[in-house]
Amino acid sequence: MNEQAVKRVVIDWLDDNYHFGDAETIIGSDEDKSFLQNGVLDSLGFVKLILHIEQTFNVRLDRKHIAPANFDSLLRIAKHVASLPGAKFSP
Amino acid sequence: MKSLHLPVEQELAARSQMLTFLRTVEQRTEQSLNGDYLALHRWACDNFADFWHDFLVWSKIPFSGSEHPVFEGAGVEDGRFFPSLSVNYAECLLRSSPDVPDDITAIAFRSEQGDHKRINRGELRHDVLSIAASLEQAGVTAGDRVVAFARNTTDTVEACLAATSLGAVWSSVGPDLAPAGVLARFQQLEPTVLFAHTEMLSHGSKRALKEQLREIVLGLPSLKMLVVLDDSVVGDLDLPIEVVRLEALRSREPLQFSALRRFPFDHPLFVLFSSGTTGAPKCIVHGAGGTLLEHLKEHRLHSDLRVGDRLYFHTSCGWMMWNWQLSALGSGVSILLYDGSVSFPDATALLKILEEERISVFGTSPAYIQLLRESEITPRQICDFSNLRVIQSTGSVLYDEQFDWIREFFKTVPIHSISGGSDIIGCFVLGNPLLPVYRGESQCVSLGLDVRVLTDAGIERSGTGELLCANPFPSRPVFIWGDSTRLKFHTSYFEENPGYWTHGDLIDLDACGSARIKGRADGTMKIRGVRIGPAELYGVVLKIPGIREAMAVEQEDRREPGGRKIVLLVVLAPGVTLDRPFTLRIKRELSLKTSAVHVPSVIVTVSELPQTHNGKYSERAAREVVNGRTPKNLSALRNPDCLEEIARLVPRSV
Repeated sequence: MNEQAVKRVVIDWLDDNYHFGDAETIIGSDEDKSFLQNGVLDSLGFVKLILHIEQTFNVRLDRKHIAPANFDSLLRIAKHVASLPGAKFSP
Repeated sequence: MKSLHLPVEQELAARSQMLTFLRTVEQRTEQSLNGDYLALHRWACDNFADFWHDFLVWSKIPFSGSEHPVFEGAGVEDGRFFPSLSVNYAECLLRSSPDVPDDITAIAFRSEQGDHKRINRGELRHDVLSIAASLEQAGVTAGDRVVAFARNTTDTVEACLAATSLGAVWSSVGPDLAPAGVLARFQQLEPTVLFAHTEMLSHGSKRALKEQLREIVLGLPSLKMLVVLDDSVVGDLDLPIEVVRLEALRSREPLQFSALRRFPFDHPLFVLFSSGTTGAPKCIVHGAGGTLLEHLKEHRLHSDLRVGDRLYFHTSCGWMMWNWQLSALGSGVSILLYDGSVSFPDATALLKILEEERISVFGTSPAYIQLLRESEITPRQICDFSNLRVIQSTGSVLYDEQFDWIREFFKTVPIHSISGGSDIIGCFVLGNPLLPVYRGESQCVSLGLDVRVLTDAGIERSGTGELLCANPFPSRPVFIWGDSTRLKFHTSYFEENPGYWTHGDLIDLDACGSARIKGRADGTMKIRGVRIGPAELYGVVLKIPGIREAMAVEQEDRREPGGRKIVLLVVLAPGVTLDRPFTLRIKRELSLKTSAVHVPSVIVTVSELPQTHNGKYSERAAREVVNGRTPKNLSALRNPDCLEEIARLVPRSV
């Protein structure tokens, strides 16, 4: 799975649900900026994003293994999801 | 098919206040009710004046004057309870007695930033009376409106009780409401004092509210004083009114508690807001006596709350459940206030606080239960909930499978799925220690409220249809603010079914008295527990160039927190396309000018919206179609064919 495809899905979802066209501006050039610490997403939003990623890429994200270290920025989400075996874009 | 969730816990039932009250009624009336709630309820409905008198005496609400007559007038629309009796709401909540001593905790406060505070009843009373003395010195008198743009903190509670102790009318909103929404509500009230926070907590950071606060103050020319509730620097606000800190108000010599004046039973206490399908939010005025009686009844009888209980109900100051949980002080209960996100720094945050504070009654929402479930959290494995004896839920429908999830993963306790609304500052359906809990159901109708159902066959005692109330009840609003002819009051609640209170909810009430609330009967939406009038969206959307007409309806979707989402239908000007940038612009405008809850999940362009022959838009018809149902009475529509297009274009949910 291509990391860029994951990033696009995440940004589009943030635009549709939280930032309404401003997601890329808010994230800025630092793709490793913490979502939680910078108000990009709250923890309720993370739950919804996880469900959206599972549905879009037909993968299962183990909640026990999701932590800020692998899921709290655009870059970390993209790397984590892209590394999952069997991840497949299915919009 | 009814499915038992939990049988009656006989031991709890035997020492419940509901049973004690039932025995009191049996003794006084010299009749046997056999410990049967339905028999008690039937008696209370048929003899509502006797019932409310008995409950007034039993609850020991402090009052002056005479409790007779209990009721005067003809019916639910025009009748008045206790016209010769006076009460003071704050006095009832703050009084002490051998059973409710001053040294027990009144309020525990926690925030997402780890702040702790705990004050006992004596300290709370002292603070409230000091603030009241300052407000009185500043010229606040009975009937003045005191409003708040505030977080859920101890200071906000103290401000509210201080204002109401003087007979002032209290109204509050949460700090997440945009200034336009605040002004649409408060401008109608012409308040003299505003209590406000200048920043709010948001997922680990503080968000400044000074710009919003300045806009609000400048939009309320009746204001004489702003009382700042937090510690931020306020000198730069540059406002044309007096600005003081709460701390300064608290430093004054307190009023004498025994000298607090009591006010007539119907004296305005709270103004709550309800979003109708058209126009500005309706300002619903609730009286002190009616609020006290209803809340004490719901707390003591239905929830069995008593001294020693610790209640947490998740709410903001802008929701009636804030007023509801506040009144629990009147039963000697300790209340927990929480400020911030329930899921910061993670989804277990609130659970740990419930454990640490040894909460016995936890009030939540289906949305929070869903958050825990989707986060795959097992609360019973993380925390010790040995003190927890009841979980209450309101705001939207708690589904059968959520009952199952609570039992399996949280705790096996009675679940009270309660429902009512701002219009009655209370509930029509509640829990009950004398009855079993069935999956997905509220245990019973609120004691003494003669709930009926408007079915296809007419007004019945059970069935599925619109929720009506046939008898007078004290927590009926005393009036709608600015409605001197009572026309708005009449049309809001009585026009459709003369002689009955028409609540606007759909109910499935079975012959045994348990119930399921099925949503709203009118165009009002309930999203994540927040009631939203379509007009709130129209006020923003119809100002966007290119949009000619708009209609907002709710669509049931179990994947959404609260089980519902907003679908916005728009008719566009020729040549305008609903592309992605335009869709995002609509969402952004709504987010900025109303709130995040108002943002639709789905926006669809259609060629026509359903209208009646009088030209009135029919949200009800569109709502039926987007939920896969066939609207009733299609002949009332001028253009029923447009519903086919709506059904085709709006994606189905689950």
